[in-house]
Amino acid sequence: MFPPSQSASRASQSARSLALVASFVLILAACSTAGGSSPSPSPSPVAVATATPSATAAPTPSASAVPAFPTTLTDDEGKSVMITSEPQKIVSLTPASTEILFALGAGPRVIATTEFDDYPPAAVALPDVATYTAVDVEKIVGMEADLVIAGGNFFNPPEAIARLRTLGVPVLVVYAPDLAGALKDIELIGAAVGLSDVAGDMTAAMQADIDAVSAVTAGLDKPRTFYEIDVSTGPIYTVADGSVYVQMIELAGGDPITTGSTTDFAIPLEKLITADPELILLGDAAYKVTAADVKARSGWNVMTAVKTDAIRPVNDIIITRPGPRLVQGLRELALAIHPDLVLPSAVPMPIMR
Amino acid sequence: MSAILELDRVTVAYRERRVLDEVTLSIAAGERVALIGPNGAGKSTLLAVATGLLRPDEGQIRLTGVPVEGLDRIDVARRLAVVPGAANLPFATRVEEVVALGRLPHEDPFRGARPADRAAIAAAIERVGVGHLLGRDARELSLGERQLVLIALAVAQAAPVLVLDEPTVHLDLRHQVGAMELLVDLNERDGTTIVAVLHDLALAAHFFPRLVLLDEGRIVADGSAEDVLTPDRIRDVFRVDPGFVRLPVRAG
Amino acid sequence: MTTRGGTLSTTRPRVGRLEGVRDRPLLLVAVGVVALLVALVLGVGVGSVAVDPADTIAILAHRILGLEIPRTWSEATETIVVELRLPRILTAMLVGCALGVAGATFQGLLRNPLADPYVLGTASGAALGAAIAVLIPVRFVILEFGLIQGLAFIGALASITMVYKLSRQSGLAPLTSLLLTGYAVGSLLAAGLAMAMYLSGAALRQIFTYLLGSFDGATWPRFLATLPIILIASVAIILRARSLNGLLLGEQAAAHLGIDVRRERRILLALASLVTAAAVAISGLIGFVGLVVPHVVRLLVGPSARLVLPLSAIGGAALLAYADIIARVAGGIPVGVVTAIIGAPFFLLILRRARTGYEV
Repeated sequence: MFPPSQSASRASQSARSLALVASFVLILAACSTAGGSSPSPSPSPVAVATATPSATAAPTPSASAVPAFPTTLTDDEGKSVMITSEPQKIVSLTPASTEILFALGAGPRVIATTEFDDYPPAAVALPDVATYTAVDVEKIVGMEADLVIAGGNFFNPPEAIARLRTLGVPVLVVYAPDLAGALKDIELIGAAVGLSDVAGDMTAAMQADIDAVSAVTAGLDKPRTFYEIDVSTGPIYTVADGSVYVQMIELAGGDPITTGSTTDFAIPLEKLITADPELILLGDAAYKVTAADVKARSGWNVMTAVKTDAIRPVNDIIITRPGPRLVQGLRELALAIHPDLVLPSAVPMPIMR
Repeated sequence: MSAILELDRVTVAYRERRVLDEVTLSIAAGERVALIGPNGAGKSTLLAVATGLLRPDEGQIRLTGVPVEGLDRIDVARRLAVVPGAANLPFATRVEEVVALGRLPHEDPFRGARPADRAAIAAAIERVGVGHLLGRDARELSLGERQLVLIALAVAQAAPVLVLDEPTVHLDLRHQVGAMELLVDLNERDGTTIVAVLHDLALAAHFFPRLVLLDEGRIVADGSAEDVLTPDRIRDVFRVDPGFVRLPVRAG
Repeated sequence: MTTRGGTLSTTRPRVGRLEGVRDRPLLLVAVGVVALLVALVLGVGVGSVAVDPADTIAILAHRILGLEIPRTWSEATETIVVELRLPRILTAMLVGCALGVAGATFQGLLRNPLADPYVLGTASGAALGAAIAVLIPVRFVILEFGLIQGLAFIGALASITMVYKLSRQSGLAPLTSLLLTGYAVGSLLAAGLAMAMYLSGAALRQIFTYLLGSFDGATWPRFLATLPIILIASVAIILRARSLNGLLLGEQAAAHLGIDVRRERRILLALASLVTAAAVAISGLIGFVGLVVPHVVRLLVGPSARLVLPLSAIGGAALLAYADIIARVAGGIPVGVVTAIIGAPFFLLILRRARTGYEV
């Protein structure tokens, strides 16, 4: 758990309530235009935001008469990061941060990302300054970056982060172990790039959505859900206790089967059979794993889920990436668990550029 | 003639057993002495003690009149040279580089061989007669050639006492004789004191005017070959039929 | 009456085909120094950001020589050249020097051509120390040395101390005992490392990066802090070249040649371990340098430690400097991979030439 980001506190509360009111108005408007039928689950991200992109209520500049810079923020590792002026050359070292930056509208100011960024397409085209194992400090310095957003918990090498800081580059480390953390990070990054208002709107909308989904699934029967992360290398990888998956699945109306440990992501087959999942979600669907593959596995045919053919693919990325598409992931997850569910239309968010 | 190497009631015990039992031995400068005896008699231990590698439990060893334990290893090395018994060289080493090792006790510790050292090395090579082997990897020589190179090393060390521990093992007859003749030459021409442990009684009798017979840690005989290698002794100490040992008659 | 026996074998001399070099070791030193200077310039001029060579030289001249030059370069460029690349190439040379000297020392001390700086458990100890550092949630920085460097250093020294102490208790000959104990302790520590990696979770990647070795973390404070340790210890070893030479024929022969074997063994072991631990702490585990460089040097100038030690220092520095340059140009592959690619063929070559020595 990381300390709540102070940047999101009072300054945007007024913006939040305004956004809530605005979203209710828009929901009512949307209900009359859209059909309201529940879209069928599919592996690709479903564009659930049916509302027209007429943006939220006008941004509230009155809430921030105080100039945003210079500012000192506390990142998710507790480090004080001083940003002297609005960053114009931002480097993002995690895919989630990249999505957040683009969603907030800071996309044009992002000059480099990682090798493995995959969304949005504009980000993929940007130069790469990091691989899975290393960060090219020299390149970042050469590009004269004035803000770097890095991943905590060893996502990026801590040495590289320290190096950049020694060389005078502000580095904001983000790490979101759960939904609340993801929202906080959006607001943190928003404050760092001078878009607190947009960030506040976005998190308010997301929170409203989360609450809405949670309300809808609250009274439903929760099937025992096995979320398959990966089986290809031998061990069966699924969700660990306390991981963000658990939170997401529960919110989406499922009863997740976990490994029983907070650090171990592998579950023995015997334990899984004993737990007898009623539903299998294929988080590795992107790697071409199908329901037929699951049924063919020896020993799996005794599971209720296999017998009733309740095996459905999901998009693992948007379910776990702590970025703006997280709520989309939640909605998809809910629909994968309860296919007949009728969800309220999504609260519209600022467009990604 | 002054004693150059003396053992004074030297005792070495190893778990109740006395490997050397109050051994007293005096070797004068310029002598040529062979140390003989059956396996386990204590010959190698005696050498170890004499060269300062092993400290006796009782008694004293004196080298050029000075107790060995009071001497630095380098001082010992300048007075007494031991021909290395075996040489497992881990790296390719040229013959002249092996011989050059003999100058370690003399050369400048940081800068290495001085001109005097180089001269001594060349002289030793010439003296021992291994000049034709220069440039060769010592690891690829025959056993006989290697032995000669190692003797050259000890010669280069230019110490007044030269000690050898079974130098003729693995050598064919020709090389055995050659090595012995070299030792005689070093002793008679340069006055080097030679102390050699030998298992070959014939060689010892033929080439060494003084034999010291060791048995179970004690010196049982010390003198010329005729005096030492009597049929009774051969029977008692070596436990073989004296007829097996045919001794040449050596004059002087 | 000296024996003038005929030669029994008539093969050509096989030791050192480069006759001329053998007699002119200073020439080799000069070549090595030139190679280092070239590496320095290349190392500073090459990287993931293209810097105009003229700018590179100008920056160096300005910062190192203090010349007043009108600035035609950006501050970022200067930072890259002076704060990132310069300490990096210098660190690579320093570590290469350490590994070369340590490798030569261990080979001579243990009388084993297959020895390298890691043979007595230093590698496993350092790796385990680093892994533990990654797992402990403690932040600790002195002179920009983090917990990883500190525990790697301590781990290396602790393991070799353990090996030394344990080896003295066995009844085997000291050298054999050292080698076997080193192997045993190394294996034990490797098991500990495997366990640590298993428990590490997200930190696994960081442990791996350390194990592969890299100079990404080279900074001025680290370089300047490690420089005296490695330089002084290396010089101390080189001054003891005589002892290493004495050991060529074995410990007994060395004693007879006037070497205090027990004392020298302890001192050389300590110095070589110190140098290795410092190198490993700063750069991780980089292999083949300590193994191969001394052999190449011996091929050129023979086995005398007086030549082999300083030339291994220079050779190691040059090899690692160029390896790092190649690693960077090739897109940031770990430098340990480059040294392996260069070193493995060399190593096979050495194996073909290695002999077991005399049978007696």
